Amino acid sequence: MKYLGFGLVFASLLSVSGMELGSAYAANSGEGSTVMKEMLLAYYYPQKDAQSDVFMRIVNRQGQSRERRLAMLRLDKTDGGEQFYYIYFHEPADVQGMSFLVLKHPGRDDDRWLYIPSIDLVKRIATSDKRTSFAGSDFTYEDVSGRDLDEDEHELLGEEALGEYSTFLVKSTPKRSGDVEFSYRKLWIDKTTHLPVKVEHYDLKGTLYKVYETRQVQSIEGTPTITKAAMKDIGSGHETEITIKAITYDVGLTPDLFQERLLRRAPSQWIRR
Amino acid sequence: MKPNRLFQLILDHPKIVLGVTLALTVFFLAQFPKIAIDTDPKHMLPETSPVRQYNDQVERDFALHPDVIVLGIVNPEGVFNVRTLTRVKELTRAIQELPGVISRDVDSLTTVDNITSTKGELIVKPALGTVPQSGAGLSVLRKSLLGNPLFVNRFVSHDATTLALFIPIEPSVNGKEIADKIRSLLPKDSGGDTFYLAGDPVARDTFGTEMFRQMALFSPIAGMVMCVALWFMFRNVTVIIANMTVAMISIIWSMGGLIALGYPVHIMSSMSPVFLMAIATDAVHIFNEFAFRLREVKDKRTAISETMKVVGPPVFYSDVTTAVGFAALATGAIVPLKIFGLVIGFGTLVILVMSYTLVPAVLMLIPEKHILKMAQAHGKGPNEGPSWLSHLGKFCVARTKPILLAGFVLFVVAVAGLSQIRVNNNMVHWFKWKSVVRTADRVMNEHLGGTSTAYLVIQAKDEGAIGKPALLREIEGLQRELEKDPLVGKTFSAADYVKRVNQVLHDDSPAFDRIPDSEREVGQYLFLLQSAAKPRHLDNVVDFSAKTANIILQLKSWDAGVMKKVIARADAFLKEHPLPEGAKVKPAGIAYFNMVWNHEVLWGMLTSFLWGLVLVLALLVFETRSFLWGCVSFLPLLFTIALIYGVVGLIGKDFDMPVAVLSTLSLGMAVDFAIHFVSRFQQRYREYPDLKEALIWTVARPGKGIFLNAILFALGFAVMGFSALTPYITVGILMAAIMILSSVMSVVYLPALIHLFRRWLLKTGPSS
Repeated sequence: MKYLGFGLVFASLLSVSGMELGSAYAANSGEGSTVMKEMLLAYYYPQKDAQSDVFMRIVNRQGQSRERRLAMLRLDKTDGGEQFYYIYFHEPADVQGMSFLVLKHPGRDDDRWLYIPSIDLVKRIATSDKRTSFAGSDFTYEDVSGRDLDEDEHELLGEEALGEYSTFLVKSTPKRSGDVEFSYRKLWIDKTTHLPVKVEHYDLKGTLYKVYETRQVQSIEGTPTITKAAMKDIGSGHETEITIKAITYDVGLTPDLFQERLLRRAPSQWIRR
Repeated sequence: MKPNRLFQLILDHPKIVLGVTLALTVFFLAQFPKIAIDTDPKHMLPETSPVRQYNDQVERDFALHPDVIVLGIVNPEGVFNVRTLTRVKELTRAIQELPGVISRDVDSLTTVDNITSTKGELIVKPALGTVPQSGAGLSVLRKSLLGNPLFVNRFVSHDATTLALFIPIEPSVNGKEIADKIRSLLPKDSGGDTFYLAGDPVARDTFGTEMFRQMALFSPIAGMVMCVALWFMFRNVTVIIANMTVAMISIIWSMGGLIALGYPVHIMSSMSPVFLMAIATDAVHIFNEFAFRLREVKDKRTAISETMKVVGPPVFYSDVTTAVGFAALATGAIVPLKIFGLVIGFGTLVILVMSYTLVPAVLMLIPEKHILKMAQAHGKGPNEGPSWLSHLGKFCVARTKPILLAGFVLFVVAVAGLSQIRVNNNMVHWFKWKSVVRTADRVMNEHLGGTSTAYLVIQAKDEGAIGKPALLREIEGLQRELEKDPLVGKTFSAADYVKRVNQVLHDDSPAFDRIPDSEREVGQYLFLLQSAAKPRHLDNVVDFSAKTANIILQLKSWDAGVMKKVIARADAFLKEHPLPEGAKVKPAGIAYFNMVWNHEVLWGMLTSFLWGLVLVLALLVFETRSFLWGCVSFLPLLFTIALIYGVVGLIGKDFDMPVAVLSTLSLGMAVDFAIHFVSRFQQRYREYPDLKEALIWTVARPGKGIFLNAILFALGFAVMGFSALTPYITVGILMAAIMILSSVMSVVYLPALIHLFRRWLLKTGPSS
């Protein structure tokens, strides 16, 4: 009896302090946006450009795995604004040479092109759907290139210690609920690096279904960089781990590299075949 | 003799008998709250069965949901109008929010992407995004959706009158409850749209719910009907109470035992109450004889002792044969049937024990006044009764030959009917034609690809083999061949996806509606598909390592025979066109599953039936201590069964699970009358060795008990004829028919047969 009584008192204390915290931060939802903006910049826009080698392993429930190796070039037109992406697949062997070119426009649909070497075809892709899988992985296209800040309402729920990280906890709720398969996301963002440590996705019924997790952060040329991350789909038992094998910042990429006609002949200076 | 001493002890302490029985009953009754039901057809086979294990593996390998509800929206004016499309959008969203629904895997036009090609551009967007508000916009949408072969007859019917949503649910939830929740979301004002819910979980769980309701309704009605009949027969409340108490006790003990052992209640065991009530009517023989005896000896205790002495043995043997007949079901492989057989077998033994303990004890406790009234009331009946029954007896003895000839003619007709029997099982047909579930299934099958699903799994030897154009072409060829069957409404596989990508990448040119020539091309298309569509859709048709592929078939009928034809067609095609590099094809899916257990039921039942026949014959020979007498007692039973199943064959009723099960059950039950008849005839003949007189007496006196028993039995079962579920109707009507027929056969044909074979029978039989 005594024990139970103590538990109850303890629980009520907790909920009181939780309420105080919640109301204090909810009053200023702008803080949530600020934290998110800092995260987007740190995660998707570090330095002016980047050249990276990426390795991806997708494992299904039965433990079977698929692997991909790709090269990615990124160039920012403006910090937090328009961006160029060039993605070239090395592996699996039968898709070697398949490439994507993306001109990211925050606030409207991106321009995307695709090169299919087996039929030597460049196709422009018009899509409003950014939630499609990135190369068959559990990451969506949007997870890889960043979701627009204005798509969601961001609310700072509080501060939390997560392992070695001290984080801000942000809840992002889509403004137009019909467009995406989640009802909201919870993001734990490292206070020092502004990089996401963990992201939980909740489905339309409010059930957790997908979890992003940062597994390794390295300082590359002084820039804190996530070099290993995983996305786990709880429903399907799928998991994808992305490893940045090598990354170099500010290599001097220029906009003329990101052109549709260059898809047929990948710039060998930047992409080692 | 010991048994007699024991019996006298019971007569000395009737109250203790009552008390002990009550205590045990309370114990078994206490188990009832733990009840669980199971109507999943997959559980027909044991967990260790290879078919079930392989099916589970296929579902895992291809990320397939085992339980999918299909919501159909039919509008004869066409579904491409603003109102219907808006509804689909809203409904999809609302359904995704229902608990128990696997939200992200709900497939609807609003959740799947359509990839099209316009002016050299690849357009990837939800098949139904923003609903177009203009007529022109609607017709563009219509054209684009009907132009995607992956959608036609799956998400939208080829004539654009029907749309479908596929709603996977979690394995632990009840399909009927989800279906009811979906129904509550449907708009009140339909405005030309009609909504239908179909799919295995709906049918299965609706059946489960209905099963309980029907049994809760019909068990008491059957009991009441029997009570009324008993009143007309004996005009004594105590007899009714004793009879019904025996029935209730056996029901409570056997069902309680089943639940206590942790078994779920299946469709068959749900019918146990009615069966046990009917079997409990065996006690009528005791009451019948007791009423006769009491009038003769006037002393209650002597009357009981004498009654048990003459009726005891036939009651013992008839109950044991019944128990054996049911227990024979346990030799088969079908789990619910095994359980059912054992439940009823056990219940019958309980009835037997009660006949020797509780029934005499109750008779001991009836006050003398009531008892004499009962004897007189019963006496009134027989004044008219025996007259026509003894007329019948005289007729049977006098007209042996015409009776036997008529029997022979009927037998030939029955055999002709037996050859017409069509073995089939169809879960949806367990509902009546006009029922919601069956109507939904029928309408959906008229408009779309089909509500029943089968898988043909292509197992190659090497990883990546599925990406070889030669194999994909073979898969495509197999699909086209299978689609020749009008009941195969839709097939889809990795080949369809690859072809679709090929065509779309080539500006929708029909020339590219084919499998590309190089493996590299296929590989790159599959890679694209992984990023374009929901990865799960591709996972459904090709596994991670591209070593196995899955052809998904939609069938328009739940008939087990359809799947059999599909497999035969596939085998024939593969014989002509063997798959490259030794790849093999293996079937799975609910349709295949139903086919397998349907087959198992047939052969399981046939084996059980043959075993039952042998066992019953052996018991009869043992009981009569004569092979010939055993055979003669056996004939009315054989004749009854041949006739009943002959009629089943002639009227074209499917020989499905309920019917198959009855064949075995009827054995143990229908033989009871012959046992009583022969046993009592032999007793009488020993006392008064006049053949004709003994036969006529047997027809008149135990014959009355037999008819009373049969009528009670038939009335109890006939009530189920008014059920909403066809298996109950089938069981009710067939059981009633079997009982009436076998009583008539026993009473009419046994005198004729005994008279005909008198020289052999009476020399070896009771003459000594």
